[in-house]
Amino acid sequence: MGVVEIDPSVTPARERNRQARTAWGLTAPALALMFLILLVPVVIAALLSFTNYSLGNSGFEWVGTKNYDRLFTRSTYEKMFIATFTYVVTVVPISVALGLGAALLVNALGRIGDIYKTIYFLPVMATLLAMAIVWEFMLHPTIGMVNQTFELACGTVLERIPFFANGCAEGFPLWLGDRDYAIWVICFIGIWQGFGFNMVLYLAGLTSVHRELYHAAEMDGAKSAWERFRLVTWPALGPTTVFVVTISCIRAFQVFDTVEAFWPQGGGPNKSTYVMMFAIFEKGVQQNLIGIGSAITMLFLIFVMFLTLIQRWLVERKVHY
Amino acid sequence: MAGLSITSVTKRFGDTEVLKGVTLDVGDAEFVSLVGPSGCGKSTLLRIIAGLEDVTSGDVSIGGRSVTGTRAADRDLSMVFQSYALYPHLTVGENIAVPLRMRSLSPLQRLPLLGGFMPGSREKRIEINSAVREAADMLEIGALLDRKPGQLSGGQRQRVALGRALVRDPAAFLLDEPLSNLDAKLRVQTRAEIAQLHRRLNTTFIYVTHDQVEAMTMSDRIAVMMDGEILQCAAPDIIYEDPNDIRVAEFIGSPKINILPSEIQAGTLSLFGKPIAKPSLQTQPGLFQLGLRPEALRLTAKDPILSGRVAHVENLGSELFAQIALEGEPIRVTLRASPSDRHHLKLQAQVGLTFTLEDALIFDANGKRHRRAEVFAPRSVEVA
Repeated sequence: MGVVEIDPSVTPARERNRQARTAWGLTAPALALMFLILLVPVVIAALLSFTNYSLGNSGFEWVGTKNYDRLFTRSTYEKMFIATFTYVVTVVPISVALGLGAALLVNALGRIGDIYKTIYFLPVMATLLAMAIVWEFMLHPTIGMVNQTFELACGTVLERIPFFANGCAEGFPLWLGDRDYAIWVICFIGIWQGFGFNMVLYLAGLTSVHRELYHAAEMDGAKSAWERFRLVTWPALGPTTVFVVTISCIRAFQVFDTVEAFWPQGGGPNKSTYVMMFAIFEKGVQQNLIGIGSAITMLFLIFVMFLTLIQRWLVERKVHY
Repeated sequence: MAGLSITSVTKRFGDTEVLKGVTLDVGDAEFVSLVGPSGCGKSTLLRIIAGLEDVTSGDVSIGGRSVTGTRAADRDLSMVFQSYALYPHLTVGENIAVPLRMRSLSPLQRLPLLGGFMPGSREKRIEINSAVREAADMLEIGALLDRKPGQLSGGQRQRVALGRALVRDPAAFLLDEPLSNLDAKLRVQTRAEIAQLHRRLNTTFIYVTHDQVEAMTMSDRIAVMMDGEILQCAAPDIIYEDPNDIRVAEFIGSPKINILPSEIQAGTLSLFGKPIAKPSLQTQPGLFQLGLRPEALRLTAKDPILSGRVAHVENLGSELFAQIALEGEPIRVTLRASPSDRHHLKLQAQVGLTFTLEDALIFDANGKRHRRAEVFAPRSVEVA
């Protein structure tokens, strides 16, 4: 039996103060690192985007919004926006849809599904730069596998299709050298490379769908696979879908390596694949125009931030049950 | 509303035979419970009736029509799942409406936004809404219709699951352990409500549970299942008082029935080598098992058949259960006593027990029941 001694100097207010100090002390290293590594560079980039700074120069001038004015007036940057948004708008929906489709099929297969899972995931694991070289060979206008395969169709029924008719008469597309095809080739490779990743995310999402819900749906009269998908699977995958779409968008905005590998000197035929990341690289690194490079970076940051905010809002409001 | 019959249904999963030729007839508007320990095949049987599982052999028919090859959605049954299986993205009202929407609206009429403008859709939607409202009012969840299942308590979810089942007028309701996720108090309350619901709807109910109390209190008939077979299917009082099999006697009744090894030799039944009665014998001599419900045992001071020491007492207020460790035997028997006997049942107190042979159930060595009438003539106990 002891008497609890209360130290009169330890008042509740003092105790709270002490705890607060400890808490700040413990978070300080993390906060410092976050400021140094994440926030400071962003702020510096934001400041530089209003200057004409070049690396190596001793000074710089404030140019106001001139860099941004350029972004919205010059035709090069118009092409940049067109290429970037074409890529995002094509790659995101198709790779998400293919990812979902593949996940549903693989999920339905059971044991053999593992083989497909591996096959579809291979492009994700491969280095895109190396893969780009392989694609470059395959898409070569004359000796490439793609066009040689298409040529096999000449003289067959397939020639009734306009694409083959044109190809057999005037030669098949140059692909990487053709400004009408280049961006779509990049999109295709982006989809090929990315949908396996979405599939894996969807497979993870599918494991959380309660099996008894399918039985309930059956008892409730949902007879077709589509009805069960609409009633059970799709709503259950809501949170996964928001995540997959956001990740796919951010990855699509970041497309760079294929463009750099195919056209190291300037963003494709007639700048038709001059995507944002490549523009940042070209302006900021190759041409040492830090000001304009920073301006594009800020714009890029705003897009990504916007997407992330939409995702947060959707997750919290719409798909969280 | 319809009766249901299950004829020699077997079910195998690989090498394991889960159901070994189950036959069961359920009358129209009857409440039948399938009760048994976990793994006895009762849930599988229910899922076979529902059509969620195929039979390996045998036949299921509903209302005289064989449905063995019919898919679940076409069997006109409603089911309440153990996990409730509510659609988490739909509100309570939408959840209850699903069976009606799926059955009475065409795929076009079900389209989001556009569906409302399809011809005939408006009238049907009004009908569905009023049916949902009616079901919700019956279960007193009218105020919850706009909530999502995630915002409800276990008991409320359970009601929504019931509402979704009864919003239609199915041939039969199948309930798969619907109360097992509720706390004890709510379970007692919901038990009574489901029984009332059955009387009110006057429809066939098939109710799976591992809880014998649920089965005893709600059902018209109980089918006790064990190891893939129905051991006995009868009214609750018959199952309790007149079980066919020692496994039924042991499963039903809480506390468990006391089983004492006994022997019939030369027309005399003896317990622990002590002759206690001379039944009019129509059976082969040999080893038997004597089943005594806790309420069949009585405390007695003179000429006890069994004697021992009080090892443990459970006081439930209105009654007392005492475990008596028998003298010289490694067996404990449970005795039900009234609170007035409490002073006799101090721990370690020496007590004597007696019983009337009429109240005892006799099982042979294989656990099959030998009816009193066949075995015993005397009404009172002759203490040797």
